[in-house]
Amino acid sequence: MQITLSKRINELLVLAVLEQGPAHGYQIAMSVEERTGGIFSFQHGTLYPILHRLEADGQLRGEWSGDGRRRKTYRITTAGQATLRKGAQDLEQQFAVLLELLGGAHAA
Amino acid sequence: MLHESPLAAVERALKVSPERRLELIEEVDADVDALQEELERRGYSPTAARRAALNRLLPVPETLAALEARHAPWLGQWLRAAGWASRIERWGALATGILATLSLLAAIWSRDSSEATTPLACSLVVVVALLAANWFRAAAGLWIEGSLPPERRRLLWARQLGLIVTAISLGGLGASWEGYTALGAPDASFGAAWTAMHRSVFFAALGFGAALLGLLGWLALVPRLITDETAEGRITTLLVRSHPFRSQQTQTGRH
Repeated sequence: MQITLSKRINELLVLAVLEQGPAHGYQIAMSVEERTGGIFSFQHGTLYPILHRLEADGQLRGEWSGDGRRRKTYRITTAGQATLRKGAQDLEQQFAVLLELLGGAHAA
Repeated sequence: MLHESPLAAVERALKVSPERRLELIEEVDADVDALQEELERRGYSPTAARRAALNRLLPVPETLAALEARHAPWLGQWLRAAGWASRIERWGALATGILATLSLLAAIWSRDSSEATTPLACSLVVVVALLAANWFRAAAGLWIEGSLPPERRRLLWARQLGLIVTAISLGGLGASWEGYTALGAPDASFGAAWTAMHRSVFFAALGFGAALLGLLGWLALVPRLITDETAEGRITTLLVRSHPFRSQQTQTGRH
């Protein structure tokens, strides 16, 4: 299935945050914003479809905790770690091509 | 002035099963509160922190559409992908109509009832078709659309119950009439009485059988309905618990 670049980047950002350790949804959103200096941020709940898609794909695992008020914590799976490594490599190649092209345009 | 929780609007707009809706609302609610607390610790005012938390985490219509696409029942997803979702109700009505017509013709042609009870037999066949159609509407709501709102659930159950009672009444009435005819005619031959008794048993079996099937069909939906009602109760509790002061601030802040 073809997946858009921005969608792919968002997924990889989530996986990268979760590789540092389990986190709640809001912590993932905060972490992405802080670690990218605000270049990337999740607004208007856009994080949740990404989390749930990755969970359904087995890239991460969501666990509920708490008796009264429940909270959901996400942790990366082995499959998610593999996807992160592969995705990072792919992005590196894609951006190298892109930067070369843009660099050429700039030079011209 | 008290305002409803912003989550209430999200909850109303989400067209997924109540169980799934509860999970989504619970997750967003806990995250929004936790993020607000975190932002307040970082020096935000409560109003600004709430506004920022909601801006980040409260789903907007586009996000809700993505969540629905992810969490809609698989049957509904499949039908929508095939472009059949909007036609399923019409097809159901058409199938019920065809089934009822064919059954009516069969009932009339089979001559398994006397002339006096033929209208009762035909009515009973129509009731059976309506029972099937009512059950189908409830099942389609649960497994295609994802949920059956409480008022629709009550309406469909009331109809099912009414149809069950009608089936029993028609079956009982037909059986009694045929029985009365068989026993009431002093000059009737044994063969004629036997045929009338046979019709009487046929009526009783058809009426009670239809009622039993209607009841069992509904009972098959009950576990899912209980799950949905439990989830709806928890959603209501969660939304009531949402602090109105926070909601008021949010609504003011978002303009």
